[in-house]
Amino acid sequence: MTIAGAMKKGVTVHEAWRTYKGVTLLTPKEGTGAFLVDMQGRVLHQWDVGYAPASGAELLPNGNLLYSGKTTGSSGIDAGAGGGIVLELDWRGRVVWEHEDLTLHHGAFRMRSGNTLVLKRTEVPESLAEEVQGGLRESGKREDQRMWADVVHEINPRGEVVWEWVSHEHLDPTVDRICPICRRDTWGHANAVLELADGSVLVSFLKTNTLAIIDKRTQDIIWRWGDDELAHQNCPSELNNGNILVFDNGFHMRGFNFGYSRVLEIDRCNGKMVWAYTGGGGSMLHFLYSATMCSAQRLPNGNTLVCESTTGRLLEVTADGHLVWEYLNGLPAIAMEPSRAHSCMVYAAYRYGPDYSGLVGEAAGPEQKQFAPGAGELLRGPRRKEDDKEEAIRSRLEALGY
Amino acid sequence: MSVAKATRVGVVHHNRMKADDGYTLFAPQGTKDVYLIDIDGYVINHWRMPYIPGCHARLLPNGNLFWAGQVKGALEYGYPEEFSGLGGLVREVDWEGNVVWEAVVPMQGHDFQRRENGNVLYICFDTPGILPDDTARRVVGGRPGSEFNGQIWGDCIYEIDPSGSLIWRWLAYEHLDPEIDTMCPLENRSQWPYLNSIWICADGNLLLSTRYLNQATKIAYPSGEVIGRYGRGELAHQHDVRELANGNILAFDNGSHRHTLEPNYSRAVEIDPATDKVVWEYKSNPPSDFYSPICGGAERQENGNTVICDSVSGRIFEVTQEKEIVWEYIVPMTGFKQGSTINRIWRAHRYPTTYPGLRGKNLDPRRLPWENRIYGPDSWKRSYVFSAGS
Repeated sequence: MTIAGAMKKGVTVHEAWRTYKGVTLLTPKEGTGAFLVDMQGRVLHQWDVGYAPASGAELLPNGNLLYSGKTTGSSGIDAGAGGGIVLELDWRGRVVWEHEDLTLHHGAFRMRSGNTLVLKRTEVPESLAEEVQGGLRESGKREDQRMWADVVHEINPRGEVVWEWVSHEHLDPTVDRICPICRRDTWGHANAVLELADGSVLVSFLKTNTLAIIDKRTQDIIWRWGDDELAHQNCPSELNNGNILVFDNGFHMRGFNFGYSRVLEIDRCNGKMVWAYTGGGGSMLHFLYSATMCSAQRLPNGNTLVCESTTGRLLEVTADGHLVWEYLNGLPAIAMEPSRAHSCMVYAAYRYGPDYSGLVGEAAGPEQKQFAPGAGELLRGPRRKEDDKEEAIRSRLEALGY
Repeated sequence: MSVAKATRVGVVHHNRMKADDGYTLFAPQGTKDVYLIDIDGYVINHWRMPYIPGCHARLLPNGNLFWAGQVKGALEYGYPEEFSGLGGLVREVDWEGNVVWEAVVPMQGHDFQRRENGNVLYICFDTPGILPDDTARRVVGGRPGSEFNGQIWGDCIYEIDPSGSLIWRWLAYEHLDPEIDTMCPLENRSQWPYLNSIWICADGNLLLSTRYLNQATKIAYPSGEVIGRYGRGELAHQHDVRELANGNILAFDNGSHRHTLEPNYSRAVEIDPATDKVVWEYKSNPPSDFYSPICGGAERQENGNTVICDSVSGRIFEVTQEKEIVWEYIVPMTGFKQGSTINRIWRAHRYPTTYPGLRGKNLDPRRLPWENRIYGPDSWKRSYVFSAGS
């Protein structure tokens, strides 16, 4: 942004009567932990994990934080990779579970069973690598010629691998083609994994622009979506109705050098896009754009929380695309040396409401119970004169039938 | 970075000790106006033209404005949207806006140069430039099947004399080599190589910005043969390729479809043609904070500073050789695009106070009280801030 620091910070849009009230967990890219902020943008709690993030942290239903950290650098693999450790921390920041592996990358997912799905890497056999299509075939060092593929591991609380899925044994070189301007050092390049309600596993492959659903028992890919539509997507999630919500970054877009981002909701049964949010963007307009990272979360009231990572902007929009909450990140608010980037990028952000079990459930300690429904003030902020006016206007409108 | 988050407009930063002094000319997109501002952001002159720009205007050494306007857009012609930057009319107007000369130049697009003798060189799309089928088949890159009605339109450069007669023509396909001049695999094969700037070099030859090739191409004038290719591997859909006094090439490297998974970033790059290596660049920190996917400009000043036009953010700024920003201006004028308010400019030109074209002109902002009331420093505190996403 401009030298004049013309960026505002904090909450810049707040239509309090239309938002989903709760706390927002955000993971700043330049930080080493996660922050919990309220609807006014005030920091309520933070975890200093000590590792740079490899993905956005999540608050688990048991009240603990699930955090993927970087112990490794990019080590020759395309920028954005790096990881190495997945940790579960309690409210006080004590590590209660961890899994460390040099090939761990991106995010992890806590399953209903208590096991954790993680992403790792393994080398693709050379003969298969030759058959993989797409990508930049550049001459180069030996480094460039190795191709890595993703492995999904299901880890139980004791740290044992109880299920494994090796992607290169199931991806199809003629179907899963690498984006023409991406390097061929990774095939697929998974950036998210999650368990679906029916027990199958969904993986988001960045370089092949594909969302793939895997049947755990047969290990087959039973559903693929996105090859012609997505452009380096991230953060898929499953909605209550079975649809898939995903953030389509619009990076390396086909036919447009002026890519734009959008949040898409896809009906799994017929493959149709049933909802999209672009912020009013489209060809030549740029109201929502982040080349990398990002998150999208459907909230219980039908709104969607979107994280535009590279600008550090969180937005909550209604189903008809109306912006009701916007937060511009200024965390971590520490002075950086001149040589370091002073970006306020946010890897991902998730909203948790006052009835979320992670905040008020049995596992919640006394510090978390402060978010219980009775303590509404902490979530909504102190009542202002404007709130009374809003309340009065709203009830008047309701009485008139609006 | 969208302008949506900029809360201030006008001159937002000015280091008088290090910035160059001068006047900045720009034509806000979607409006029919061309403005000349001084270093403090006062409007010194305002030309009202009959069309929106196609794509910019220059101040000639004789003090007149040379402008290209968009008579019709691509879609109105029935062309695909990627045939962008169309013009159609070039005009020379004096300081008061009186028309001194004009020419109707169908299918003109993006850039033009006006020679001292009055000839005008301009980029255009025209049917003679369409690639013959066997040449089109040999073009490497682009999305398969994305030709326009099965054809690839090659760019042309036309030169007309003051009477409007066509005196020289260059057709890209007759000189570029499809096997060497490969295009970006993500773009459409409706156009090749996609020219967006022309620069007349000191030796009389022409330096072109061939955007889909991600390279700058130098051609001999008048023979038209390709005599130099620069920047491949560094540039990504660049604009405004120029030759500097020291012989190096300066370009605005947009950064769209860059061959990296790093978030997009734009930069101004200076390349030494002898080695084809980058010898200077300006990027912001973090790099993704400065990204203009389209348009853009970079102009080297006599004191070594570079004036950069971050088009999509409506931002013009000046950086020193040491990459310090010493002047920054957010364009307060707005136009419309697809129903949204924008403050974009295609390119900006800075003229030093000693520029011959400014000699004898009335440079007092009090001549234009209305423009300064609306767009001058007094208005900046009250300026409307463009908001995204609502």
